[in-house]
Amino acid sequence: MVLELDRMQKRFGGVVALRRGDLRVAAGEVHLLLGENGAGKSTLMKIVAGMIEPDAGAMRWKSSPARFRSPAEAQRAGVAMVHQESLLAPHLTVAENLWLGREMTARGGFLRRGTMREAAQRLIEEHRFPLQAGWRVERLSPAQRQMVEICRAIAHDASLLIFDEPTSSLPDSETREVFRIVRGLKERGVAVVYITHRMEELRVLGNRATVLRDGETVFTGPMAEVTNDDLVRLMVGREIAAESRPARAPGSVRLRVENLSRGGVLRDICFEARAGEIVGIAGLVGAGRTELCRALFGVDAVDAGHVEVDGEVVRLRSPREAVRAGIALAPEDRQKCGLATSRPVGDNLLLASLEGVCRWGFVDRKRAAAPVHTLIQRMRLKAESPAQIAGQLSGGNQQKAVIGKWVARGAKVYLFDEPTRGIDIGAKEEVFGLMDELAREGAAVVMVSSEMAELVRMADRILVMRQGRIAAELPRGAAQEEILRFAALENA
Amino acid sequence: MHRIWPFLTLFVLILGLSLGTDSFLRPDNLTSVIRQTAVINIIALGMTVIMVAGGIDLSVGSMMAFSGLLGCLVMENGGGAGAGIAAGVAAGLVLGTLNGLGVARLRINPFIVTLGAMGIYRGLALIASNGMPVQNLPAGFSFLGEGRLLGAPFVLWVLVACALAVHVLLERTRMGRYAFAIGSNPEAAYYSGVPVAFHTTAVYAVGGLMVGLAGMIESSRLMTGQPTAGQGYELQAIAAVVIGGGSLRGGEGSVVGTLTGAFIMGLLANGSDLLGISPYLQQAIIGAVIVAAVFVDELRKRSQRPGRSAP
Repeated sequence: MVLELDRMQKRFGGVVALRRGDLRVAAGEVHLLLGENGAGKSTLMKIVAGMIEPDAGAMRWKSSPARFRSPAEAQRAGVAMVHQESLLAPHLTVAENLWLGREMTARGGFLRRGTMREAAQRLIEEHRFPLQAGWRVERLSPAQRQMVEICRAIAHDASLLIFDEPTSSLPDSETREVFRIVRGLKERGVAVVYITHRMEELRVLGNRATVLRDGETVFTGPMAEVTNDDLVRLMVGREIAAESRPARAPGSVRLRVENLSRGGVLRDICFEARAGEIVGIAGLVGAGRTELCRALFGVDAVDAGHVEVDGEVVRLRSPREAVRAGIALAPEDRQKCGLATSRPVGDNLLLASLEGVCRWGFVDRKRAAAPVHTLIQRMRLKAESPAQIAGQLSGGNQQKAVIGKWVARGAKVYLFDEPTRGIDIGAKEEVFGLMDELAREGAAVVMVSSEMAELVRMADRILVMRQGRIAAELPRGAAQEEILRFAALENA
Repeated sequence: MHRIWPFLTLFVLILGLSLGTDSFLRPDNLTSVIRQTAVINIIALGMTVIMVAGGIDLSVGSMMAFSGLLGCLVMENGGGAGAGIAAGVAAGLVLGTLNGLGVARLRINPFIVTLGAMGIYRGLALIASNGMPVQNLPAGFSFLGEGRLLGAPFVLWVLVACALAVHVLLERTRMGRYAFAIGSNPEAAYYSGVPVAFHTTAVYAVGGLMVGLAGMIESSRLMTGQPTAGQGYELQAIAAVVIGGGSLRGGEGSVVGTLTGAFIMGLLANGSDLLGISPYLQQAIIGAVIVAAVFVDELRKRSQRPGRSAP
């Protein structure tokens, strides 16, 4: 065995990311690591790559106990990780990136640029990578960048290569190219751990699989012993005990989207959301869910189609126009797009509704204080005071602040993009409570989530997106297996 | 109190100079300190607004010369002192707005836009004056820079008024809130429906307004319009903001902090003169203080931020 992981545990603040992660990987195999978003796959692999310290558990590397305290240590031992997001220096060439951190030098510390370039070119040709040593990385496609990362792992003589959903954003032709190279590595005796969501990829590649669910290893064994349906069942597990939202008769149409398209990312999206309704949007990473939110919120321009709010066509060329039309967005990345993290909570809560508490451009502090207190109470936002810096709040309270910002203004349509990402269970329930409250008050709520159990529980209808299209519309009470099938399989 | 170092430094400086020299507390010395620092102080107030919103303006020195010169040209050609001052202030407002438009509408990095503007405004000032100082200004004009009111230099009252106005702008108005939000996280502000481009332009306009006023004060003190005035002022203004707790990354800064920073630098210069320290060494001391101030502030911020990051 190249790598043995036993009972790995890791928690982030109050959130348990790994409860009991077991994994064994042998030389010369492609080991598939499966699980829903948040099941703990990436956490487990980041431990191996030295990016995260585990709280507990034993790791054996080539049959002797080991613990990698930094990415550099893991790399020296022979672990290489190909990330979803490329970690290359874009202004350097392919060859320079390959040898980054271990440059070949002549006496006096001078770089042997020619030698490095030739070595890189030899490696590229040997493995038939579609690359040239002298190309600058910034001009490369995402797939080519991943090839550079793979090539770099080979150049560093890695004995374990970890792929974190490498093809989630790649077109089919380039996916095949990645597969060819992965199989080549397998034949050379390299151990490969391959994290993926795509069911089509499984059989072509892997010998064995390990399934993680809620931070625990629930299955490990040869692919020949399990069907795809078995795997899906293992990944999803039993239903969570929480009660579903009660069904209520929806009101009038508040949001209507017709034939929305944006250059290959969104294709001909049509749907509507009614007052009092929560419409769930499911799909895998890269299916176009976040892009749909961005388009509806005026961040990205669309090529075709139109959007109506309460029966009126609205122009969405900027978030400002969307906000004025009555659309609110709680974005996927709260830190980056949701909050002014170095500013007080109170300022953040009023950021979208400052016009309402201003007179002649001056903030009326008496009028501003009242809604802030009401909001903090209504959102059950645990802050020391309105003056506390937003960036110091926990993930759940940051999310409540983002929602509160829109509640302060009042919207007709609320878009929630991954509303429960990175927040603990207690806060999740409160966020769900707020979403239900907004719907009951007559807003239309659109909820994008990778957590299928949460969609099943909250949504009145679920739209499943795949490759920029709405692949299916499922009614209340649809099974998680069914959602995953439409999201993952080409010909469902 | 989280940002106590600048005030402590200023206090120690005042105490040290009061005890260590006979001349520091003499009214004529204090008056000259105020007159010398007023111009930088007022420019730094404008710079505070710009830096709070995440911007920077390197052209303020050139802009000050150009707007001061334009005001003086109005007076030389028969305008009264009031008309001249109004013209200079208006010129600053326009030039600042142009910088803002370059940053917000052309979406060019503020460092680059204002680096270019620094050259452009200086060149225009030299062209407008043929490279010569503008003289023959009305006698009453000297009151702005050299007059006294209620026992204090008139510029002190101007400075107090500007400081109050900028303080209210930053802390009590919508524009101030938006400026902080944009400087803290432009994406979040944009996603909240804040008109980011408009307010980005507006902070440069406010900065320009302050610079125009500073230009007229400088002209009034010299009783000439100098096309070469204000060289290096941009760095002094930025240093004042930064010593006072402002950040080049935006989202931070205050009027009290900036004034403290500006006075620390002013007193270092004045104190060195009184103590007979060579002006060459003075520059090195002030430079070291800037780095030390930012380092101390950075330590404070790091202690609040968990996790490691690349330098």
